[in-house]
Amino acid sequence: MDHLDTELSPLEDLEKDDDTSDDNSSKGRRKSRLPLVNLMSTERPEVSGFRQSTHICLEKIREAMLHHRWHEAAEYMAFYPQILEDRTRTSAATNKELVWRLSTEILHHHPKSKLEDYNNIYERMKHSGVKLYLLVSLEHSFHLMLHGHIVDAKRQLSVAESWRYGKESAAQYQTIKLIQAYRSLLDYIIWCDKKFTHSDLPNFDDNQEMQNYFRQASVNLKEILKNPGVWDPFILSYVEMLEFYEDHEEALKVLNDYAYDNSLPPNPNAHVYLYQYLKRHNAPQRKLMKVLKTLHVLVPSHELMLEYSALLLQSEKKSDSEKVLGMVLEMLDFACWRRNLDVWKCLKAVIEKLQLQDDWRNIVSGKMSERKDWWPALHFTKFHASKDCEDPELMGVKVALVQILCPDLKCTKYTAGEGSKGQ
Amino acid sequence: MDYEFPQQLFPSFYNCGPPDSVLKHTAGKWGTYNRVKPVGGSGPVSSWTFASSHHTRGETWRHTEPVPIPLLSPKNHFVGYSTPPDPLDFTQHMQNFFEDHCHDAFGCMGEILGENFNFKSGRTLKYQKDSIHMWKVKNFLDMMKFKVCTRTYSSRPLEVYNSLLSDVVPSVPPELLSSLLHEELTEQRDRLLLSEASTGGALAFNSFSQTGSSLEHGCLIYPGNQGLDRLNFHKVVLQHQGGDSAFLDATSSPPLSHQLKGPIRQISSSSLFNECFTAVRSDRLCGVWSFSETKEPRLLQVVNTKDVVTCVNISPHVIGEVLVTSESGAANLWTIGKGMQKVREESSNLYFNAESPWRWCEFSAHPRVMAYADRTGAELTDIRVSPVSGHTLFRISNTSECRSGERLILAKYLGDVHPFHHLITTQYSAYIIDERFPCMPMLKWDHLMRSPPMFCHILPASSQSSTAKVLLGSHSSQEITLLQYSGGRHEPCFSQGPPQALLTPRNSLKHLPVQIPHRLDTASSRLSLPAAGLTCIQKKSGGKECLCVLQLTEAGDIFYQILTTEHTDNTSPSSAAEDEPLPTQAAKTTLQAPDSQVVASDAWSDDDAIGPSQAVTVAETPEKEQRSEAVSVDSFSEDSDAAERCRKPKQWLQVVINDDPEPDQVNGSEKNDVTPEGDKVGATKEPEVVEVAACGSRSHVGTNLQPSKQALVTWRSWLQKLMHKNSRPHHLPHFTVSTKGLLQLPNETRDPTEEQLVHQLKQDLRGCMSKRSLLSHGALSSLVTPDVVQVPNQVDTEVWRDQLSQRLTLSWQGEEAWRAWWEDQLGLNREKKVEALKRKRRREKEAKRASGQRMELSGSFTSSLSQSELDEFSDSTGWSSAASQGRHSDTEGTGLLSQRDGTPEATTPSTVQNDTPNPTPSSTPQTVKSQPGSERTPSSTQTGKHDSSAVNQRTRRRLADDRLSALFASQDEPLQNSYLPEQESTSYLPPPPVASPSSSSQLLSPQSASLRSLRVDLSKDSFGWSGFSQSLSQSSKGRPGPSQASQSSQPKKKKSRMGF
Repeated sequence: MDHLDTELSPLEDLEKDDDTSDDNSSKGRRKSRLPLVNLMSTERPEVSGFRQSTHICLEKIREAMLHHRWHEAAEYMAFYPQILEDRTRTSAATNKELVWRLSTEILHHHPKSKLEDYNNIYERMKHSGVKLYLLVSLEHSFHLMLHGHIVDAKRQLSVAESWRYGKESAAQYQTIKLIQAYRSLLDYIIWCDKKFTHSDLPNFDDNQEMQNYFRQASVNLKEILKNPGVWDPFILSYVEMLEFYEDHEEALKVLNDYAYDNSLPPNPNAHVYLYQYLKRHNAPQRKLMKVLKTLHVLVPSHELMLEYSALLLQSEKKSDSEKVLGMVLEMLDFACWRRNLDVWKCLKAVIEKLQLQDDWRNIVSGKMSERKDWWPALHFTKFHASKDCEDPELMGVKVALVQILCPDLKCTKYTAGEGSKGQ
Repeated sequence: MDYEFPQQLFPSFYNCGPPDSVLKHTAGKWGTYNRVKPVGGSGPVSSWTFASSHHTRGETWRHTEPVPIPLLSPKNHFVGYSTPPDPLDFTQHMQNFFEDHCHDAFGCMGEILGENFNFKSGRTLKYQKDSIHMWKVKNFLDMMKFKVCTRTYSSRPLEVYNSLLSDVVPSVPPELLSSLLHEELTEQRDRLLLSEASTGGALAFNSFSQTGSSLEHGCLIYPGNQGLDRLNFHKVVLQHQGGDSAFLDATSSPPLSHQLKGPIRQISSSSLFNECFTAVRSDRLCGVWSFSETKEPRLLQVVNTKDVVTCVNISPHVIGEVLVTSESGAANLWTIGKGMQKVREESSNLYFNAESPWRWCEFSAHPRVMAYADRTGAELTDIRVSPVSGHTLFRISNTSECRSGERLILAKYLGDVHPFHHLITTQYSAYIIDERFPCMPMLKWDHLMRSPPMFCHILPASSQSSTAKVLLGSHSSQEITLLQYSGGRHEPCFSQGPPQALLTPRNSLKHLPVQIPHRLDTASSRLSLPAAGLTCIQKKSGGKECLCVLQLTEAGDIFYQILTTEHTDNTSPSSAAEDEPLPTQAAKTTLQAPDSQVVASDAWSDDDAIGPSQAVTVAETPEKEQRSEAVSVDSFSEDSDAAERCRKPKQWLQVVINDDPEPDQVNGSEKNDVTPEGDKVGATKEPEVVEVAACGSRSHVGTNLQPSKQALVTWRSWLQKLMHKNSRPHHLPHFTVSTKGLLQLPNETRDPTEEQLVHQLKQDLRGCMSKRSLLSHGALSSLVTPDVVQVPNQVDTEVWRDQLSQRLTLSWQGEEAWRAWWEDQLGLNREKKVEALKRKRRREKEAKRASGQRMELSGSFTSSLSQSELDEFSDSTGWSSAASQGRHSDTEGTGLLSQRDGTPEATTPSTVQNDTPNPTPSSTPQTVKSQPGSERTPSSTQTGKHDSSAVNQRTRRRLADDRLSALFASQDEPLQNSYLPEQESTSYLPPPPVASPSSSSQLLSPQSASLRSLRVDLSKDSFGWSGFSQSLSQSSKGRPGPSQASQSSQPKKKKSRMGF
């Protein structure tokens, strides 16, 4: 009965925490109830001695591993695989995963662990249960990749790719996609290798072998990009191959999709890649600015904003200068740009350009109105002054701008502190 | 640079929709790399390298002590629950309320009804004529002061009154009270499991020191007092004491404190340009203090709120800005001196209905953008836009790999580490989120904590190569977990090493000297109180980094633990280097100290294996012995692992003997056991997992770390003070009936001398107890020695000349003697005797012939045999040979036995030999030999034998013959170790003729019994011998029956009588 309860409790959680529920019917109870007594609870009523002892063993391993006592954990771990004999329970797959994770982690911290040991564990655990197969295969290939065995890793991935077993869960589907994508990434690497070795050959462009690798890679890379997610390494390699075969249309399409598809998370890098691609291929400024404009909305503090403002300053439009002023001021809001000389110089340049117009004061005070109560505290205190003394150039730019930006700043310690370090 | 965004992120899926994954195991993300991405390379395959989002190894941080050290002496505190209360216990709470606050519970009706009841015993007064006598009930109620059994002790009238008045008397209806209590207990239980109010933690540290200084000093801000309602600003210094041991010193100055109106829930502190600002949150009260190294804390402003405040946060950007959120769902920007500005208000939860009023608000990279969080997620809110709108920073259902039931516990802006990073913790995971790329966590850990992390402290990387550290602390389980990560700028974030659990106060008692049980109870309940805050002091001096992690518990105790880095590549040289100065230093100190006391203490502190005796010899000849002393220290420090181990426990003693702190030496000796420990590792692991070969030392350095002397001293005084402070919980006394004088003897009967004697005895007893000696007779001065019971006189065998007595006497000499006697008696050895006699004669004849022919005639005359000669012969030769044979076989038998039976109780030859002569010292073979013979005093049995017919005699003889042969055959066999059961022994012995208890059976039965018991005796001598004696005594009484005789478990005292 106790067992039944423990098995049921997660299900209850599932029903209770229907995250999409919007009904406020149960508003009477004010206090929330977190599912705190989670599955990590220690007091699991175990019936038989075997389960009890393996449970205690697991707790000991956990304790030792959490305290980074790897040797102790390894000693306990020597006995823990007994749990795998317990096949009657529904948790057999969980036990296998546990054994795999614990033993791999211990091996990671073993001073004399060898690749054979890893291979041994990965292979054994891979074949111990169908549910683990894909995950372990992927991790195995990661291990091989990290240790420089790229060819072995590719073989592992190819084997895993061709593996089929019944119905796939959502997680398994994603793992399959990842396996395919990583295999293609390794194809790309071999493609690069071929490109490097065959670059001095005469009929280099239509190298059949390279073509094959490209085809193999592109299928899966194209496929993974359709799934929402972050695929920076994949898209870069795919675009590089497309560029090599001068398929600009496809490359641009892929990059555009990656940047503008709404189902994908708002990845700043997607816009950066698009911008870099366009810049590489000498796209018109209008296109570049369009990309940067979107990036500005997304990440106003991005370093490309300096390029964007430079581009905008080149144009003759009045509104552009205003835009640049807002942009640079916003950059200066962020902690990381506050003491950056380039931004301050850019601000100075914008204001100098604006000063050519008649209503520049209005424009500046318009932008500064929302900042006037906290900008002095952010940039022009005596503490800033004393700190900026170390960087005279920055100090000079700031001193020149302080009266323009904050004309209300009376008896500014900042200006006074220029010489005498404040009062 | 800070503004850089990683050029390539690790690939990951972006999942929308409610999370459905349920973690079934407790291993979290152990053993996985999570994701990898290619780094660099564009040429051949070999030029490509990969980076994983989880690096298997991080920096190694080791504790300098196995226990956290208390910083402050213990203060009184309100006794809270040690375990979550059970809401169903409300009846108990109701009872407590009725008993403790009876005037509140029954006051109103009591006054009204009081006139009609008379609780006074005795006669009714006039004006109370109408009132009811209640003295019986009163008596019963008086018993409530004691602990009594409620089942047996009941009052019938009270039950009747109860049923009559129970719904009238209480001021609050019991139904209402019980439901309210139940609700309250449920809430308290929830609060104990997850105390929302204490999120963020009420412990903060502001550093004053400039970078690069060797001392780390700053101000620790913590709540004090019983109810945690006093704000303390305490200047502390993290000091280094040689080597790598550091300690936190809080004794330099007393804390400056401010009394508040409610318990402090959260302290948020930040320092901007040498000025520190501290915001303090109480339930409905917030205050801001400012202070600096030179300026004392000054209260800037206090606000009172209508709703319970859930969060307060000091701005890292602009001085004097504070974010405050309350349970109403409103977030306010509080500018000191200007007032509140409502930033955002949400009446419901952000993304789904989590039924939680808890809100949190943090600053972000932009001074006008706030991260507004509740249990379902966090949003970035630009407060400059009037209709507030936010964009999601973190959302339970949108962030990949969320688990079912996962909720946001704490959000924190990590401005010190990275201007765009936020830390978000849930029950299962900790996320690092870059606000430039919301929704997708840059990094995710499974922190593997048992209860959700509510406190956190972030330490920025101290250099380019080191890692940023995240310390997570949980409330109820006191856990602290250290996570390490790097990246976030040019490189994407990656975690380093698995989560590391730090020490908790509740586990510290097992590293400390054992406490006596009630102290242990008090101490452990105090130490296992939930945590209330967490902070950390980071320090770097001389290339050695050091972390001091402080933890506050709900009792107001602060514990700290110090961690130091251990560089993974140079473990062995460093430990060797630390080995080196130890002996030299010891030698130096011994040279400097001619005083014996100092030398002794030095020896203790250096090495416990050096006993005081050695120290004394050093004192006697200081000049000579110093060298050897130093050498011995040296040799001990390089001792083997085993010696190290057995020496370790003795370190407890150091606290008592030597309070002089010499931590570097202790640490040195602790370091020593690292290397041998590592060498002996060679556990065989299941081939399925991995074969553990010789493991390096660093993998388990902290395994058997012993607390240093200094730590033990601190703990000892802390525990002593705690015991002093702690008054034990009040219990009802048991009801006792006074029995004094109830069962007392009348006084006059007592003899004054006897009384004095008793007094004397008591004194002796006490003296013995104080000396811890045995209360033996010699210790008693007062008592006369009791009469010594005389040993009974020796039996004079000469007096007893009848056949039976003879036989019994002989049987003491052993079986052979006894056997020979019987053979003699029955005439079985007649032929042998004749033969022997003939041989003797022949020899004599030959001798005579040799000497001459004179005696020929007389020689021929004595050729015929006579009974007397036969007897004489049997006495002289036959006996001795038999006896010698018997003795030989006896020793052989015991030897065999002792060989076979390994138990120490098994008979050793000495005990057998001792036992035999003692009871009858007179019955030696000599006396038997000198005995004239049986024909002189013919006994009754002998006459009976003579009377019986020849046939009868022959049959009897045959029977006896058979029996004896059977007996001896049985003895010739290998001796039996175990006691033979009855059935087995009968197989050797034909059953005695039960029908007619004839003389033979009478004679034989004791023999068989004795034989059997002798066999028993061989396995267990005393047992066997007592049985033997018993059987003898029984047979003398004429009671046959081997079954009885075989039950030889009679006490030994019968031995002395022996049936004589």
